[in-house]
Amino acid sequence: MSESTEPRVRQHPTGGERAAVQPLLELRDLDTDIALRRGTVHALDGVSLQVMPGETLGVVGESGSGKTMTALSIMGLLPQGGRVTGGQILFEGRDLRSLAPDEVRRIRGVRMGMVFQDPLTSLNPTMRIGYQVAEPLRVHEGAGKAEARERAIEILRRVGMPRPDRIVDNYPHELSGGMRQRVAIAMALVCSPRLLIADEPTTALDVTTQRQILELIDDLREEFGMAVILVTHDLGVIAGRADRVAVMYAGRVVETAATGELFRSPRHRYTEALMEALPESAVREAGEHARLYSIPGLPPDLSRPLTGCRFAPRCRHVTDECRSTDVGLSGGEHQFACLHPVSGTPAGPVTVPTPVLVEPVPAEPAPVRVDPAAAPVLSVRNLVKNYAAHGRGLLRRTAGQVSAVADVSFEVAPGETFGLVGESGCGKSTVGRLAVGLERPSAGQILLDGTDLAGLAGRERRRMHRQVQLMFQDSYAAMNPRMRVDAILAEPLEIQKVGDGAARRARIADLLDQVGLSRRVLERYPHEFSGGQLQRIGLARSLALQPRLIVGDEPVSALDVSIQAQVLNLMRDLQRELGLAYVFISHDLSVVDYMADRIGVMYLGKLVEVGPAREVVRAARHPYTQALIDAVPSVTPNATAARDGVTIRGELPSALNPPTGCRFRTRCPLAQEICETEPPLAGDRHQVACHFPLRPESVPAPAGTGAAA
Amino acid sequence: MVRYLITRLGQALVVVVLVTVIAFLILHLLPGGAARATLGKEATLEQLAAFNHEMGYDRPWFQQYLMYVQRLLHGDLGYSYQLNQSVVEAITQRLPKTMVLSLLSTLLAIVLAIPLGVIQAVRRNRWPDYAITSLSLLAYATPIFFMGLMMIILFSQVWPLLPPEAPQGFTVGEVLADPAGLVLPTVTLAIVTIAVYSRYVRSTMVDNLNENYVRTARSKGLSERRVVLRHTLRNGLFPVITLLGMYLPALFSGALVVESLFNFPGMGQLFWQAALKRDFPILLGVTVIISIATVVGALVADLLYAAVDPRVRLRGSAS
Repeated sequence: MSESTEPRVRQHPTGGERAAVQPLLELRDLDTDIALRRGTVHALDGVSLQVMPGETLGVVGESGSGKTMTALSIMGLLPQGGRVTGGQILFEGRDLRSLAPDEVRRIRGVRMGMVFQDPLTSLNPTMRIGYQVAEPLRVHEGAGKAEARERAIEILRRVGMPRPDRIVDNYPHELSGGMRQRVAIAMALVCSPRLLIADEPTTALDVTTQRQILELIDDLREEFGMAVILVTHDLGVIAGRADRVAVMYAGRVVETAATGELFRSPRHRYTEALMEALPESAVREAGEHARLYSIPGLPPDLSRPLTGCRFAPRCRHVTDECRSTDVGLSGGEHQFACLHPVSGTPAGPVTVPTPVLVEPVPAEPAPVRVDPAAAPVLSVRNLVKNYAAHGRGLLRRTAGQVSAVADVSFEVAPGETFGLVGESGCGKSTVGRLAVGLERPSAGQILLDGTDLAGLAGRERRRMHRQVQLMFQDSYAAMNPRMRVDAILAEPLEIQKVGDGAARRARIADLLDQVGLSRRVLERYPHEFSGGQLQRIGLARSLALQPRLIVGDEPVSALDVSIQAQVLNLMRDLQRELGLAYVFISHDLSVVDYMADRIGVMYLGKLVEVGPAREVVRAARHPYTQALIDAVPSVTPNATAARDGVTIRGELPSALNPPTGCRFRTRCPLAQEICETEPPLAGDRHQVACHFPLRPESVPAPAGTGAAA
Repeated sequence: MVRYLITRLGQALVVVVLVTVIAFLILHLLPGGAARATLGKEATLEQLAAFNHEMGYDRPWFQQYLMYVQRLLHGDLGYSYQLNQSVVEAITQRLPKTMVLSLLSTLLAIVLAIPLGVIQAVRRNRWPDYAITSLSLLAYATPIFFMGLMMIILFSQVWPLLPPEAPQGFTVGEVLADPAGLVLPTVTLAIVTIAVYSRYVRSTMVDNLNENYVRTARSKGLSERRVVLRHTLRNGLFPVITLLGMYLPALFSGALVVESLFNFPGMGQLFWQAALKRDFPILLGVTVIISIATVVGALVADLLYAAVDPRVRLRGSAS
C-alpha cells in the first residue's frame, strides 16, 4: 500500500516484446452456455483474451456482458447448467479443457486464485479464519496443522491484517467487510498463484475501503509477480489499476487496448457511449446542467440467435451493414470489433474522452431553478436518532445505544436537489427514513413546509405525507410481487382517497407518460421488468400524489451505467417540469456531484460538511470529505494516483460508542488535542464541522460563473 | 449464559404451569367424573359423594388444582385406582421402555436420513434425487398403522422372519434381551422419520450448496467430496438440531399407534388405555411429563445450536 504521489507508470511489454513472451493465460474463441429451464443462454460467444505474466488485465462490462462468466469459465466454477462448449483455455501453455478434472482442480487451487464480490457471504461462516485460509496448503501441499497455521498467519500479515495471530482463530462474522475481503485475498494467495482473478472485489465495499483493497491487490501483484484479471463494472476502478482493458458487451469482447489508450481514444461505439454515460464525464465536460448521454434500450437477450454487431440496436452510428455482418476483433495492440469506429486519430496525451452530447441541452439552461429566498420545503433541525442495541445471539440484552443520527440540521429549498453522501453506516439512510416519517426521531424536528410532523396525527399527518415520497434502491423488493403495475400505481391514490376510479386511471396514465413508459406495462407484474424500468415505475409511484419532495435512497446504485444515465436524466427532467425537490442519498460521489445543487457529507451520524455541490467536491473543507473524494476512482487514467489528498486508514468506529468530540478524529491525519471537543458546523454557504478546515470558505462567485470552473 | 439459562427456565416454568392448568380444567370439566369412572356403574350416589369428598373433588376447581400442584411439588403425581398403583410408578415402569424404542428409531432415522438427504442434494434433479424423493413421499403419505400392518404381514406372516409382537419384558433389560422383537416397531417408527428428516436435510443442503462460500471452497481446488462433507454438511445440519429438539417430547410420549399395534407396554399405550378408561391421574401425569419434555427439548435445541454454530453465542453483548 505504497503512497505513491507520482502517476502510475507501468512497464508492460510493447507490441514487439509481447510476441516473444508467452501469455500466462490465453482464451481462444471461448463459448459458454448456461442451460436454464426456459432455454439456453449463450453467455460467452467466441471470447478471446490474453493475459501476460505480471500484468493486470481489466475486464469491464455491464451486467450480462459475460465478464463474470469469463472469470468463472477460466476457474471451472460455472453455476449449475453452465458449460464451456467451445474454444480453448490455455493456461501456462496447457489447455485446461483437455486436462483431467483432478489436474484442473490442482491448477485451480495452486496456480490460480479467485476473489469474489461479496466478502460477507464468500467465507464459510462456521470455520475459523485460519483454517479456511490455510486449507489449500493442507490439501495441495500436504502441510501439517502447525505449519498451516504458521503460514496462514504469515499471509494474513501480508494482506495487512492487524493482529493476524489472533484473527486466525476468529470466525468471519467477527470481521468487517473490508477485513473479510482481505481474508479472501489471503486465501486466494496462500499457495502463491501465478494468476489472481478478482471479480468485482470492491463493489460491495465503501470507497475508502475500496481504495485500500485495490492498492493491496496492486502491491501484492508486484510482490508475488503474478498476473491479475480485474473484473468490474466500474470504469473508474479499471482506469486506475489495469495495464490493459477488455471491454465486453453481450457475451463478446468488443474492444481491447492498453488502459491509457482506451480511455484516451475509445474506438468501439459502445465504449464511447459507456464513457459518455458517466456522470463524471458530463460534469467535467459541460458543467452541472449537462444531460448525460443515455444509451437507449437494453442489451440483447442472449438466449436468442443473434446476427451482426450486438450493440447495433442501441448504437447512434448504426448502418444496415452493422446488423448483418459479424465483425471480429481486428487491429494490432488496440483491437476493436466495430464497422464504424470512432475516428482513430489519437487525441493529445492528456485529453479525456470527448463526450458528444447528442441529446440536446434543454433550451432554457435552467439557470435559477432554486430560489434561495423561498421557504424551505424540508427543514431538519437538530435531528437525533438512537437505536437500542441488543447483544448478539439469543440473549439480546440491551447493550447500549447506537447513535445513528446525531444532531443533524439542514434545509431543502423548493426545486432543489440536496445530496447526502457518506459511507455505509453514516446514517444517511436513517435521515431519509426520518424525513419521510417512516421512523420517529429520538429528538429534533422535521418540518415539512414549516409544519412539524411530530405535532400531527391522523388525517392531517396523512395529508402531510403526500408532500414527501420515498424512492428506493431496490424497486423490485419495494413492490408487492403479486400486484400488477396498475394496482401498484393506484395504491397511493387509494390510500389517500384521491379522486374516483376514472380520475385515478387518468392520473396513472399521466404518470406513465411522465416516466416514459407505455400503457401496456399496466397489466404486467414487477418481475417482468428490467432494473431501469422498475426504477421508472418506482418513480411514477412516488410521483402519484404530486409530492413536493422526493427522498431517493440510492435510487440508481443498483443500475448499470447506461441505465443509470436514463434514470438520472428522467429525474432531472421531472424536477424541472414539476418543481420537485430531491434529497438524493448516495454513496457515489460522482452521481451526487452530477445531481445535487448542494451536498451534505455525513460521517458516523454527523453532518461534517454542507455546501454548494461544486464547492464541496472541488474545494472540500473537511478532511473526511477530501479523503472520500480522493478515494473515488476516476476514469481519467492516473488521476487516482496523482491526487495529493488525504488518505484515511483503519476502520469506521462503532456507532455504539462513537468517539467523543469530532467523530472523525480517530482516523484523521490532522487530529489534535482540541479535536476532543466537538467542532460546530460553522460557515455561511459552505459549512464545515472541523477545527482545522482544509480551506477557508471561498467568497461567493458571481452568479453563473462559479459553477463550471 | 447463566442469566440466559435462568430466563429460559423461568419461561419454561410458566409454560408448564399453563399446560397443567389447561389439562386439569379440561379433564375436570368432562362429564361423568372420576368417581363414576373409578367406582363403576354399581356405585350408589352416597358412595360417589363420599369418594368425591374424600378426594376433595367437591371443592372448587382452583382449590383442587392447588392441592394437585402441592402434591406435584413433592413428586406425587397422584394415584391411579384403576391400575392400582401410583402414577409415578406407572410412568417409571413404562418410560424407559418407550425411550428404548424411540431412541433406537431416531438413531436409525438420523443415520439413514442424513446420507440420503446429502445424496439427493448433490445429485439434485437427477435420478437418485427423484427415486429417494418418491420413496420419501410414499413413506410420508402412508398411514403409520397401515405401514405397521404391512410390516407384520410381510415379515412375520409371508416371510416369518421376525415376531409380530414387541418384547413384553417388564424391565428395559428384558426388553433388550429380545432384539428381534424390537426390529419391526423400530423400523416402522423410523420410516416416517427418515422421510421427514431426509427431505429436510436435502433442502438445507441444496440451500447451502448454492451459497457463495461453497463456490469459494471450490475455487481453492478442493475435491467435491471435501466441499460437501467439510464445508457444507455441518452448516446444512444445524436446522436438523431444532428438529431433534422438537422430537424430544415424542421420546417421552411414545408412539401411540405403533405401541398399540405391536402391543408394546410403553407410554403411548399407557396414555391410550388411560384415555379409554378415563383414568384422570394418569392422563394428567403423562401430560405434565410431556409438557416438561417439550419445553426442555426446545431449550436443549437452542443450547446445542449455540454450541455448534459460532454465529450464535449466548453472550452478554456484541463486543
